[in-house]
Amino acid sequence: MSARTVELFVNGRRVQAPVEGAEFLAEFLRERLGLAGTKVGCGIGACGLCTVWMDGQVVSSCLVPAVVAAGRHVWTVEGLTDLAEGRVTDAPPGLPSPQLVQAVQRAFVQCEGLQCGICTPGQVWAVCALLSEEPRPSEERVREFLAGNLCRCTGYQGILRAVRQASEEWAPSEDP
Amino acid sequence: MKTPEYVTPTTLREALELLSGAGGGEAVVWAGGTGLGPLLRRGLASPAVLLGLEKVGELGGVQPADGGLRLGATVRLRDLQRSPVVAARVPALADAAGRVGNVRVRSLATLGGHLCHADPAQDLPPVLVALGARVCLVSLRGTRVLPLEEFFVGPLQTVLSPEELLTEVWVPGESASRNTVYARFAPRSPEDYPTVGVAVSVRLDPDGVCQEARVAVGGAGPTVLRITAAEQALVGGVLAGQRIRDAAREVEAAVDPWDDSRGSAEYKRAMARVWTERVLQKLADEV
Ligand SMILES: Cc1cc2nc3c(=O)[nH]c(=O)nc-3n(C[C@H](O)[C@H](O)[C@H](O)COP(=O)(O)OP(=O)(O)OC[C@H]3O[C@@H](n4cnc5c(N)ncnc54)[C@H](O)[C@@H]3O)c2cc1C
Ligand code: FES
Ligand code: FES
Repeated sequence: MSARTVELFVNGRRVQAPVEGAEFLAEFLRERLGLAGTKVGCGIGACGLCTVWMDGQVVSSCLVPAVVAAGRHVWTVEGLTDLAEGRVTDAPPGLPSPQLVQAVQRAFVQCEGLQCGICTPGQVWAVCALLSEEPRPSEERVREFLAGNLCRCTGYQGILRAVRQASEEWAPSEDP
Repeated sequence: MKTPEYVTPTTLREALELLSGAGGGEAVVWAGGTGLGPLLRRGLASPAVLLGLEKVGELGGVQPADGGLRLGATVRLRDLQRSPVVAARVPALADAAGRVGNVRVRSLATLGGHLCHADPAQDLPPVLVALGARVCLVSLRGTRVLPLEEFFVGPLQTVLSPEELLTEVWVPGESASRNTVYARFAPRSPEDYPTVGVAVSVRLDPDGVCQEARVAVGGAGPTVLRITAAEQALVGGVLAGQRIRDAAREVEAAVDPWDDSRGSAEYKRAMARVWTERVLQKLADEV
């Protein structure tokens, strides 16, 4: 009797799967649901590889037990296409808009905000969460928000450029 | 291990009953889970029941109270960071809350969980001890209120009994009329725990003479340390030169750090002195 069933909403769909032991959301997504876009690095909340959107904010899915995620709305990198293409009905409060997601995706590509891509699912969610909360964040705010999404390839400059471009495109400043 | 059950009572009474009731000893409190999560992942804790506090309304909220603040145990660090009333009354606390770990940690971690986790390098204990905060601990048998410095026993150890909950934190009104500065020294990376963290809260008269001081240091002993010898060195004179250096020497003499990945004991001792001097100089410059 040790298996428990967990039901939650992932990328807008109701899903249900058994969990074992102290299973965390990161492993639940990857191994039970086959959504391997969410990566696991440190397993202690520090690196940001496992970042997902949950009920209005970004969290480390390596720190959320699957049983604690039950009933909640979780979005992963695999859900971005549906979101960007406006195929999501009944979006939970705070979910980034299609226009924002498109702007962020474009900016990451155009500004070389990614290389190997392992950190990218987490970076993209973090940037979407930041810009939907604060469309025109100061440089300091961007750094504060993204600290803890580690990247070993880009040297961060491309990511910071991508945030500025996405912000500018999505929420243009009044200046000429 | 068996998969824990996650239960979310909606009242304080129900939560306390679950903690002390028939299943007593089985349930472990789960607030933000950022302290407990890593332990669970590594098999260092294997509770049968996780008692989630998120739905207990009585444990939430930030309220102005007697010129100070009443902070509910389940207030998230990110909400402390962004609360206008916290920023207005005790800006040092809002600022320190915004420096804990990373945004994902701050979004889940709660004030109560932060204090109950009791890692000696944490950021808010020094600030809250300098502010003179008290904590309220409640069980079915009653309530006790303690100055925060008496709450910590050692690394990851507090005076809480298994059937007790930390329900709220009181920041006294008089602290809002003092000047408080906190500095964290995190040389490895800004989102890391600090090597040392120093908080000082002072009341200066119009001539800059120090009338009251509270000094607390984190990361340099088994718990946050309140350093009364440094406080005594400050009171009665202007915050400057030799007085600042004397107080910082008292901190250096009183701390009790150990070697770890954030620095050797010697280094932390020296950094506790240096950062005390910097905090005091900042307070002096503010007048
Ligand atoms: C990647 C990372 C980086 C971090 N960096 C920093 C940093 O830079 N500075 C810093 O200060 N801290 C840092 N931390 C630690 C963080 O501050 C704590 O993990 C957090 O504050 C704990 O709060 P929580 O609500 O998540 O606690 P939980 O994990 O839910 O609980 C912690 C402990 O307290 C108990 N508990 C919780 N609430 C109550 C209550 N109301 N009454 C009784 N018992 C209770 C739980 O049973 C558990 O034993 C970091 C953590 C992580 C994961
Ligand atoms: S794997 Fe979760 S933050 Fe590193
Ligand atoms: S793109 Fe390789 S780690 Fe960020």
